[in-house]
Amino acid sequence: MEEAVLTAGKAIGAGLAMIGALGGGVGIGLAVGGAVQAMARNPDFTGTLQTNMILGVAFAEAVAIYALVVSLIILFVI
Amino acid sequence: MGINWNGKRRYIALLLLIAGFVIMFTVPPVLPVIQLPGEVYPAGWNFLGLQMTNTLMSSIIVWILIGLLALYIRWRMPKNSHEVPRAGFYNLLEMAFDGLYGFVLNIAGEKWIKFIFSMFFTIFIVVLLSNWQSLVPGVDSIGFLHAYVGVEEESGELIEKDGYEVVAMGAGVWRLNPACPWVSPLETATYTEEQKQARINAGCMTGTGIPIETEEHVEEVEAELAAVEAEGGVEVAAAESIESAATADATEAAVLEASAEGESAVAAGESTDHSEEAAAEGEEHSEEVDIHNLHFEPGDPAVPWQITPFVRPASTDLNMTLALALVAVVATQIIGFRELGPSYLTKFFNFRTLFSSPLGGIDVAVGLLELIGEFARILSFAFRLLGNVFAGSVLLFVMSYLIPFLPWPFFILEFFVGAIQAIVFALLTAIFMNLATQGHGAEHHEAADEDHHGELPAEASNIGETVHA
Repeated sequence: MEEAVLTAGKAIGAGLAMIGALGGGVGIGLAVGGAVQAMARNPDFTGTLQTNMILGVAFAEAVAIYALVVSLIILFVI
Repeated sequence: MGINWNGKRRYIALLLLIAGFVIMFTVPPVLPVIQLPGEVYPAGWNFLGLQMTNTLMSSIIVWILIGLLALYIRWRMPKNSHEVPRAGFYNLLEMAFDGLYGFVLNIAGEKWIKFIFSMFFTIFIVVLLSNWQSLVPGVDSIGFLHAYVGVEEESGELIEKDGYEVVAMGAGVWRLNPACPWVSPLETATYTEEQKQARINAGCMTGTGIPIETEEHVEEVEAELAAVEAEGGVEVAAAESIESAATADATEAAVLEASAEGESAVAAGESTDHSEEAAAEGEEHSEEVDIHNLHFEPGDPAVPWQITPFVRPASTDLNMTLALALVAVVATQIIGFRELGPSYLTKFFNFRTLFSSPLGGIDVAVGLLELIGEFARILSFAFRLLGNVFAGSVLLFVMSYLIPFLPWPFFILEFFVGAIQAIVFALLTAIFMNLATQGHGAEHHEAADEDHHGELPAEASNIGETVHA
């Protein structure tokens, strides 16, 4: 019984931790959307924009990944 | 080369799909144990005195691959400018190298390109090779078979975890039997007849209600347990093992096995007189039961079994990603000092304007924030890579478990994720290095750069512009 409660708690905790991925998703969407618009307007700068876009995406993704790491730790380490 | 493969390659995909179905029914996949730290190899495996883990094995493979790659490139490289390189793979590498060099040149500029690009490409190739290892069949799924048991901390009793029964495949090779998760005798007692019949139909050995074919196994394990506990200093257990020694031949085997572990265990098994002595001796050198010293015959249905993979991608281990992150951040500081000298420190401890400017205090605070940011970079580097690749490898084997006949789309996804993460790690390093070489007097430096532009050819000045854009 105790074990079942523990498992349930872990699953709920991991699920809650993954809410953080929401922000990352929104951020990546905004960044890529903006970059694609800019590329469409000014195709000459595609290279620079892509670099900066990937950087921004990586930073935004990092936040989601922290959430993922926390939930993985909850599931498999604790 | 000789065969004309045009139009025939698609059958390879069909064959693979059929193979997937065949494998699904003959060797159904098992969901492996998911564990964040690298799994430790069995006792006896050491590498330069380090405890061997499967992620360490993966990094050794990466080193070997990089060495081979270097030799290959040296071998294929054109000796002079008239020779045209013909090997396809060499051309691919050259293309990748050229493309990435231009990419980094855009970011870093001419001055430090050698240092920055060497760091960039080293990190890139190390991370790429270790990320892509999770795509190789057998990684994460072929490994050492081991009894999945642990020792309870307080009582020192053996506890079985969730494992599987094993099936012999010949030649000393075993596989886990996913149809038969291991069931303890206690749990079997609670089963209904239907459940037991279902287990029998599935060809399982445990959980059927029928005693396992010989009693030897159980006794063997019990005796062994007792012997090991005796080594750990539990006198009662030692006495038990002596009782069982009188009853069965099987225990003799167990004692013989235990003898490898130390004199004290043998003494405890063979004669009552020495048992106390042995127990006392045992108390001296180990307080608790050492799991690694327990030995079970492969295929023993008395315990659950699991697999420790031989190889797990190195980037799924925090040790590797943290080490790379430290290298990247420390190298960033080094290049900062080399470019700016001691004045690089004013980036972090900016007291120059504290009294001369009304906003000097803010500069100090910003500098300290930069310092904290530098440490945060280590964490963000390490966790970004770890999180992505670990989640990726978990995704791969969960998907291979759920849909064994068609996991390729996820392999393709992971192929790209692995490459992108390698690029991102290396690119961020390059960008941070570039930032570190730019001091605080931004206006001054820009002016110097403008002067520089005049001397460069048109293309290079374009690059300069994009850096500032």
